Amino acid sequence: MTTHLATILTDGLLAAIAAMGFGAISNPPKRAFPRIALLAACGHALRYSLMNFADIDIATASFCAAMVIGFGSLLLGRGARCPMTVLYIPSLLPMVPGTYAYKSVFSLIMFMHSLNTPEQGVEYMQQFFLNATVSLSVIALLAAGATLPVFLFKEKAYSMTRQR
Amino acid sequence: MKARNDLAKITDFIGNYSSHLLGAGVHTSRVLRNAERIAKSQGVSVRLTYSLRNIVVSVSDPKSDETITKVIGIPVLPISFERNTDLSALSWKALDTGMSLEEIKCEYDTLVSKPRIHPAAVLAMASLANAAFCRLFNGDWLSCGIVFLSTAAGFAIRQLMQKKKVNHYITVIATAFTASMCAASSLLWECTSEIALATSPLFLVPGVPLINGIIDIMEGHVLTGCSRLINAMLIIICIAIGLAATLTIFKSSLL
Repeated sequence: MTTHLATILTDGLLAAIAAMGFGAISNPPKRAFPRIALLAACGHALRYSLMNFADIDIATASFCAAMVIGFGSLLLGRGARCPMTVLYIPSLLPMVPGTYAYKSVFSLIMFMHSLNTPEQGVEYMQQFFLNATVSLSVIALLAAGATLPVFLFKEKAYSMTRQR
Repeated sequence: MKARNDLAKITDFIGNYSSHLLGAGVHTSRVLRNAERIAKSQGVSVRLTYSLRNIVVSVSDPKSDETITKVIGIPVLPISFERNTDLSALSWKALDTGMSLEEIKCEYDTLVSKPRIHPAAVLAMASLANAAFCRLFNGDWLSCGIVFLSTAAGFAIRQLMQKKKVNHYITVIATAFTASMCAASSLLWECTSEIALATSPLFLVPGVPLINGIIDIMEGHVLTGCSRLINAMLIIICIAIGLAATLTIFKSSLL
């Protein structure tokens, strides 16, 4: 139990570091950094837990985690007077399916080099479609999951930067 | 009733304000809402039409029915969440406190001249982020170290090419190639080199245009949304080209 908890916390911590660093590229306000870190940590740790302990696939788990990040940015954005996108876009970045994207590119290259051995070529093409489908599904569901709260709570989402 | 000269000044300001927001990576409906708030604070109405390159602003005075329309180019600016936040807050402030156009302009000039995070700090943070990302993919500590250095090298090349105003897509290809080539040095040691290679160009993933594109499409700005998604896809293809060049060189070591 303690080992599982430590693994989940480490996962969250690494996601927080990744989100802050990737976020810095897009120049967020300094007050947004702690909130970006918290959202990324919660989202990524949730996805890790769903995938490893509840046996849920990466696309569904990513969608759930993105929704949590979306709702979290709705709650935390008001305090920082930041639009939701400023908080949730960097928080989603550590969930980009990098290894699947890499395998898609690698399979495509290997397919091009296997044109003279059709059996091997089919295998690489199959791997390409598998990895590309996972990559695209995860990216689309990440965006959809985080954007959903914006449409559910339009008025609140649209007045985050208002000073009252 | 507004004098034609005043209406022209408002049109110019709203045009510059909106084009700056679009250039800084803000999604369409937010730009529209912000512009409407500024217009409302000045007692006029505004209609905007966008493409990824230009913006058409039409400002009308409801009392005189006079309308001024201008076409303004969208500047190519680095993405800035801070501009997004500050300029959105300015639109609310203008509406809630009834600021004059001169006051809004003055505050706008101060906000857009705020300095960005220092490039060296961004380079260090992005490198650390990519190293953490490598660890998230179960990379070992040696791979994380290599990814840190590879990202730093790639990011430095990117900053240099951006400074020299090299074409954006060529910059992405060169950056992805540099980062992945440096990461390929992991093949010299016993470590998770495949994960290091996979992670090294991921700091280039165009998260902002991807998500803005989806938001635009869902909010009915389909053309702008599709343009943003095509732009994001082109960047992803450029990352793949840079990575593919490295993988073609080292494919036998990776099998």
